[in-house]
Amino acid sequence: MQAAKLSRERKLSLLGWWMDRMRRTDSPLREKMVFFWHDHFATSIQKVRFVRLMYRQNQLFREEALGNFGKLTHQIIEDPAMMIYLDSAQSNKKKPNENFARELMELFTLGEGAYTEEDIKEAARAFTGYRVNRRTGKVGFTKRRWDEGEKTILGETGRFNGEDVTRLVLKQPACARYLVGKLWEYFSYEKPSSQVVDRLAQVFVKHDYELKPLLRELFLAKEFYSEQAIRSQIKSPVEYVVKMSRQLEMDKIPDSVLLQTLTQLGQVPFQPPNVAGWDWGRAWVNTNTLLTRYHFAGLILGVLNDPKNKGQRGKKGFFGGAKFRSLSKPDIEGLVPRAQREDIPALVSELGFRLFQAPLREKDRVAFESYAKAMKGEIFTNTEVSELIHVMMSTPSYQLS
Amino acid sequence: MSDFLKTRREFLRNSIWGASASWAVPMFVQQTFGEIDESTRDSAIQVDSGKDAEILVVLQMAGGNDGLNTVVPYDNDDYHKARPTLAKKEKDLIKVVDGLGLNHRLQGLAGLYDEGDLAIVQGVGYPNPNRSHFVSTSIWETADPRNRSNTGWLGRYFDNECSGMDPMVGMSLRKTQPESFGAERNSGISLSTPDLYRWIHGGEHKDVAEEVFSDLNAPDIDPVSGDSVKEVGGSGGLVGEDNASYLERVGLSAQVSSEQVIQVARKHNPQVKYPGSSLGKSLSLVGRMIAGEMPTRVYYVSHGGFDTHRNQTGRHDQLLGEMDGALKAFFRDLKEQGNYSRVTVMTFSEFGRRVGENASGGTDHGQGSCLFVAGGGVKGGVYGEHPSLSDLHKGDLKFTTDFRRVYATLLDDWLKTDSKAVLGKEFKGLDLLG
Repeated sequence: MQAAKLSRERKLSLLGWWMDRMRRTDSPLREKMVFFWHDHFATSIQKVRFVRLMYRQNQLFREEALGNFGKLTHQIIEDPAMMIYLDSAQSNKKKPNENFARELMELFTLGEGAYTEEDIKEAARAFTGYRVNRRTGKVGFTKRRWDEGEKTILGETGRFNGEDVTRLVLKQPACARYLVGKLWEYFSYEKPSSQVVDRLAQVFVKHDYELKPLLRELFLAKEFYSEQAIRSQIKSPVEYVVKMSRQLEMDKIPDSVLLQTLTQLGQVPFQPPNVAGWDWGRAWVNTNTLLTRYHFAGLILGVLNDPKNKGQRGKKGFFGGAKFRSLSKPDIEGLVPRAQREDIPALVSELGFRLFQAPLREKDRVAFESYAKAMKGEIFTNTEVSELIHVMMSTPSYQLS
Repeated sequence: MSDFLKTRREFLRNSIWGASASWAVPMFVQQTFGEIDESTRDSAIQVDSGKDAEILVVLQMAGGNDGLNTVVPYDNDDYHKARPTLAKKEKDLIKVVDGLGLNHRLQGLAGLYDEGDLAIVQGVGYPNPNRSHFVSTSIWETADPRNRSNTGWLGRYFDNECSGMDPMVGMSLRKTQPESFGAERNSGISLSTPDLYRWIHGGEHKDVAEEVFSDLNAPDIDPVSGDSVKEVGGSGGLVGEDNASYLERVGLSAQVSSEQVIQVARKHNPQVKYPGSSLGKSLSLVGRMIAGEMPTRVYYVSHGGFDTHRNQTGRHDQLLGEMDGALKAFFRDLKEQGNYSRVTVMTFSEFGRRVGENASGGTDHGQGSCLFVAGGGVKGGVYGEHPSLSDLHKGDLKFTTDFRRVYATLLDDWLKTDSKAVLGKEFKGLDLLG
């Protein structure tokens, strides 16, 4: 029991550590890329269990976040957390486990359809003989458990080992296109045209999978600033929470609150649902998660004083009773100085820029101003400003970035 | 209140569809949907409601359930040879027919079998099987083995057969919406905790806040034609629709379903005790919704963890036991309500597992597997042919029954719709209902 509690606390503090790093970081692009790799090389603590190994993997992602994709892939095949997650730590020549070989091709490098079932069976034979010490994270190789026989993989034949397979896979033309497509969708919109993908894939190949030149090209692409791309992406739950706490200049959100919230919203870092990572885009939002996003905003702002929920603790309270009392509220006084509260259009526009980073849609602006006019007495109190922010956040527009 | 809001509100109030019904007037929502029902009464398609028509509950066993250790061919030598440590012995099973036994943790389902209310469908799968969780789940949910469809099989049912129906026609109790609910117009609702299934805002000016909320969380309406108001419900994604419009439609679906769900959940307490597992909680809520006469025709619940690559034995049995316990309580609940005969449960999993066990005491992703169809309307028995354990396809069972035949059976014989319209072609039913 004691051990289970300790392990729960360690997992929680790992989550809190990363979320807080995202909140405070001075290099948001790097942190955003760490998350990309976490989703791409999805590994769940629920199976791996060892917090230290997950932390180590996360640091690997941070080191290579803007480095080289080929190098990172080579490192991930010998990453202890990944090896435990995809069972390559348990695979031997008598009974090769196909899990890792399959995901390497389908999810990590090539995408569906760029390989055959035979390629996977053969590659699985190459990925045999690895061992992991779960406590220390030390990775070893036992030659007699490795299938040293000849294999034919992606059209080439040889006595391949895991590293050879990785090399073969990275050589495929499908690889750059697959990764570029995923990065585009991560930073911009879904289903980019093949012209965009081809153009960027060429850059990626030319630079031997170096990420910085690719990202530079991606962020400079004219399609990246097209109407289709601007404020059209649905924020993921992690983005939603991190962006909100940055916009409101919040202190650290307690770990248990984060865990409850992100669980409800469908994205807990270190716990992707499966090896394919999370389902992005519209999958984040349904009737339930949309309302939960609005609740979270209300809780952060302290405007959910609904009599039915007042004082309720334990399982009936919000988010399963996480300790919202310990949550410190944003400093409304500091965020919106009294002088800014005189003129309603100016106030709404000021808050609009803070929350939406863009001019408000006409429909939103008119509605927010109407609400502000209806509530205005002598001067807006901090509570009233919080209520206004809650209304502004309780909108479809606020879910987009 | 500004003129802007007033005009808009008046317009919305007067529109017969009542798309932007405010939080504060729940009765209004019900009345407008009553009108919708009335208007469809004259049309060729009679929209049945979950209030008195048949109900389908889909239970997802996520991760790839090991069918061979669920419904066990215990006297087959090849089975024991392939699984030296994992094979189940006859004495550990609940025998259903000669040579076939249910996992010992499936006591409740075995009871249903004895009562003639459990159909075991063997060897379910599809051509050119895919062993990726992701892809295979998608194939089952969309009922498209090419994995090209953007809509789910249940979503297409909502679209095709329930036009004019409110979004509550389908209710998913997962945190995220299942792909099978993906629809062009109406893809049902998702929820987990009824009490929080509404917009909550404190403060002195709550009424105005709710007006603004209500207004912004709904699609724009063309004041002349009134178009887009018809898209009541739906969160699946219209073709070509942008994300902003998509979000507005989800917001509207939340608004129109919220009040009713909360009321029903508050009014009806389950009469039987459900297990505390997550599936138990979900089915308990489904039980309350049915008792409360919700219009919902299809419920979707999920039970995960079946990806047993290592140390499978205890874990797999435990998962089956949890499912069995939750289903047992659910069926007892339905019997006490008097609704037992109009609810059918279908289980599914994205694939079965490899015949041979692996070196980690587990099993890898396979192909054909079994599924259950259970309830008062089911003709109990064993359906489909058990796949051969010696004639394998790359170490996997060859499927004998296309899963779309099961779907077709449920669509045609249970939900009383034309399965061809939903599945794209005709599939021979299994005659396991009625």
